[in-house]
Amino acid sequence: MSVSIDWFAFVQVFAAAIAAAVLVVGFYALGLRMLVRAGRVPVVTPAEFTDAIAVISEKQARRHAKAAAKAAKKNPLTPAQKSVALVGAYAAFALCAVAVLGGIVLIVAGR
Amino acid sequence: METAVLILLLVIALALFFDFTNGFHDTANAMATPIATGALKPKVAVLLAAGLNLVGAFLSTEVAKTVSHGIIHEDQLEATALLPLIFAGLIGAITWNMLTWLLGLPSSSSHALFGGLIGATLVGVGAMAIDFGVVLSKIILPALIAPVTAGIIAFTVTKVAYAITRRHDGKPDGRDGFRWGQIFTSSLVALAHGTNDAQKTMGVITLALIAAGWQSAEHAEPQLWVIVACAVTIALGTYMGGWRIIRTLGKGLTDVKPAQGFSAEASTASTILASSALGFALSTTQVASGSVIGSGLGRRGSTVRWRTVGRIAIGWLLTLPASGAVGALAALLVVWLGPVGIVIDAVLAVVIVLALFLRSRRDEVHAGNAMSEVADSGHAVDVPADPPPTRRQRRATAAAKASDAEGER
Repeated sequence: MSVSIDWFAFVQVFAAAIAAAVLVVGFYALGLRMLVRAGRVPVVTPAEFTDAIAVISEKQARRHAKAAAKAAKKNPLTPAQKSVALVGAYAAFALCAVAVLGGIVLIVAGR
Repeated sequence: METAVLILLLVIALALFFDFTNGFHDTANAMATPIATGALKPKVAVLLAAGLNLVGAFLSTEVAKTVSHGIIHEDQLEATALLPLIFAGLIGAITWNMLTWLLGLPSSSSHALFGGLIGATLVGVGAMAIDFGVVLSKIILPALIAPVTAGIIAFTVTKVAYAITRRHDGKPDGRDGFRWGQIFTSSLVALAHGTNDAQKTMGVITLALIAAGWQSAEHAEPQLWVIVACAVTIALGTYMGGWRIIRTLGKGLTDVKPAQGFSAEASTASTILASSALGFALSTTQVASGSVIGSGLGRRGSTVRWRTVGRIAIGWLLTLPASGAVGALAALLVVWLGPVGIVIDAVLAVVIVLALFLRSRRDEVHAGNAMSEVADSGHAVDVPADPPPTRRQRRATAAAKASDAEGER
């Protein structure tokens, strides 16, 4: 009995997976970075506190929000630069979404 | 013929039950991190996971084809011989699953399923009935490689996520925003779970249908009713399982930062989805665990707790042979005793299912019986609260010191 193993398939999976992950995470992180640059620091309080998980307390969240507001006020960028950064942020988020949807389309079309 | 129909019905019922427990058990893989970092409300998370599992089950049937067409040379076997063996294999899988659940050992439902099937076929028919090439290249090797792959990918993307959002001026870095992102990545993990785990049950049912002669071996794709049944069952299991996990989650994940959770989930989802597209049947639990460990290592100054990693790895490696042995035992009963053996197996199955049900009804929930393995693997990496400085930060402090010394002079 000959046992043939398609090693190339593993390489394919690895390449596809790492490319997809880097694209999605990279663009999302870039989007966040631009959002911060545009003076809109996201402060996301956890949806619900489950016991025993120290995520971020309400006090901490308030402190973060204050720091974010302060940083936004001291932002040295001009309004034009800020809006460019904001557009860039949304573009990065959009690219991230396109990468995800594209991957799913590839899987569905590939069967 | 009537007995064949009866066994077929039993196989379908058992397979669907297995599907249900799979969803029940694996909700945590997708939803533990977003609940823990507070990205999603538990109720919403569980509903979302159930819905996306349902959708994922329809996306791709490659893995189902691997199971129904690749592992066993079903065309060389007689139907009457194969059906009881599938039955025995399923019993092996469910028994091993229940045992590991009771003992709190990490294991993989998928490997239990394959182990059981292979063990039962080996005993019932012999080695020539199994296509070892496919078993090796689509089950065993992916099982070994996928968690490592996911770990490497998670490590890389965690580094990327932190590097891109790092700020050196101490201003807010916006990493909180990854919490929004987690809503999407965890949804993708749930979707990926549907494309891989629901498929395994579809494959088994299709295999049984082929063995019974109700479906031709050339068309190994699962029929529509099989897809719908499996998708609905796993979604239902996911939904029901969620409540238990929510109660115990507090003891699970300790320190998963949003950026890290986002990266781990992106890695898990992309690894599983890419594998599903090529028909690799891997364990979603193991991939998710590999990602959590990898992303933990991607944080600065983290070290591996090898003891924990070893415990997890041994549980993984044990599953295939152990469930194979249980499946083989169940098959031996059939081979020795014929129909009586099938009856004994069926009774055993009912006992196990009942025990599982009673066990889940018992209110006692502690780390041993209900904690998510993925959450557990978070403990395999030790991340200091105060990470060492990056190269750039070291240069900055060195420069500051130098200028201080200059100023004093």
